[in-house]
Amino acid sequence: MSTLKLTNLSKRFGGVVASDDVNLSVPAGKIIGLIGPNGAGKTTIVNMITGMLPVSGGHIHVGDTDITHAPAHEISRAGLARTFQNIRLLGEATVLENVMIGFHRHETSSTLAALLSLPAASSETAALKGRTLALLAEFDLQDFADYPASGLSYGHQRKVEMARAMAAEPDFVLLDEPIAGMNDVESDALAEIFQRLAANGKGVLLIEHNVRFVAKMCSYVYVLDGGRLISEGTPDDVLKDPTVISAYLGDQHHA
Amino acid sequence: MNGLVAGYLPLFDIYLIHLGLAFSQYIVLRAGVFSLATAAFAGIGAYTAGIFAVNLGLHPALGLLAGTLTGMAAAIFLSVPLARLRGVYQAIATVAFIQICLSLNIYSENLTGGAMGLNNIPKTVGTGTLFLFAALATYLIWGIERGRLGRAFNTIRQDEAVAASLGINITRHQMLAFAISGALAGLFGGLEAYHSYALDPNQFGFHLLITTLSYVILGGRNSVVGPLIGTAILIILPEIARPLAENRMVIYGIMLIVVINYLPKGIADTAIDAIRARRLKARGDAKS
Repeated sequence: MSTLKLTNLSKRFGGVVASDDVNLSVPAGKIIGLIGPNGAGKTTIVNMITGMLPVSGGHIHVGDTDITHAPAHEISRAGLARTFQNIRLLGEATVLENVMIGFHRHETSSTLAALLSLPAASSETAALKGRTLALLAEFDLQDFADYPASGLSYGHQRKVEMARAMAAEPDFVLLDEPIAGMNDVESDALAEIFQRLAANGKGVLLIEHNVRFVAKMCSYVYVLDGGRLISEGTPDDVLKDPTVISAYLGDQHHA
Repeated sequence: MNGLVAGYLPLFDIYLIHLGLAFSQYIVLRAGVFSLATAAFAGIGAYTAGIFAVNLGLHPALGLLAGTLTGMAAAIFLSVPLARLRGVYQAIATVAFIQICLSLNIYSENLTGGAMGLNNIPKTVGTGTLFLFAALATYLIWGIERGRLGRAFNTIRQDEAVAASLGINITRHQMLAFAISGALAGLFGGLEAYHSYALDPNQFGFHLLITTLSYVILGGRNSVVGPLIGTAILIILPEIARPLAENRMVIYGIMLIVVINYLPKGIADTAIDAIRARRLKARGDAKS
């Protein structure tokens, strides 16, 4: 089983240190939490892992493969998928098209076949459409397949984005605040999906504000503040850690 | 009746040639590249084909092939520096490229005839050939639209970060869109050369840029029907209302402003969206 591993990962924007010697690992089949107050540098870490921000120092490995400086599309091909903190769906496209593009890295028909729409390419498109519909059914979205994605409710858009990430059949999933702005019923439905992912052997990195949700979901939690890891361990231990409490609530509450 | 058809045949020929150029402009916009270089690629293809026929006396099929390949090569060459630019900067760079091609054309008098143009090109292309190539181009674009490349192009155009996060190689796809654009423009430039006896350098300048861009903006950028309709309207319009023909560019400008304001997706895309919305609504009503 492979592991997503960050070693001494650092990011500096000019003089600002957004991430400082972060060591973190996400083993396959586990849900790992990454929490921290606003501006702690959580999204910076996701952006570095997925190749959207250049890394200033340290290393990122998937199994034995070093992906520290690989371009974003190659990192996806190494088996990483992500969702975005502010949902990013293709506004002009339908729900079906939005999820179908997730299969991109598994498409095998040649460019020539695609250019001339040879039977190989057409049948692949038809097969992908079938798989997309099956995936939508898994997320209970089949009724919305032909609707423009931009017209869906917030909770449904989140699920579409999740389905798109799943279509890529990643080994590791990075979820950037997936339940932000959701009610309990919606977040419970997603929690079930996350647990299923881990049960299927995928490593999940859950970035969240909602400490309660993280405590419920994760087997191991890292706490980030000011770009630095200030605590790690099981949810129970971490939430009792005085440094974590003061990072969230300030020092005066600590006594 | 026959006389009527024959009278409009030249217009139909122009439509078929410009349709190919419209598709050349369409495919780069589709892939999220704001390139306006179609006019330059068409000029390169046209002059290559013309020189093959006039100076070298080669068969038109060879000339068309050479025009297509040089158009494509120029596009691939241009795509390398353009990959570092986005949006309006790409537009400016490609307009500069058109000017460079135009100047080089005028200076290399021995090869291209300079400002005098390239004359006495044997006319070897008729309506049938034009129709064949226009149909092939339509098929090509239609196929791209419904397949893997169309999906990748759509994603890149709408959100590059999402595209990259799903494993789409943006540089490679945009280079491919450029290559197709250059090949189409080169081919239809070559057809223009073999269809019209003579080439003039200014034929492939700013004027053609505005024209091809208008076809796509007016018709629609997201479906193969867009360029088909946009090109038809803008070619027929000046003929229906003769006095308008004199002020073709003014009409184009006004129509563009009106369309961008009131039908920002273009005629075909707006219509397709409306049909789709009605169908969804009908289905929703049937269910409830």
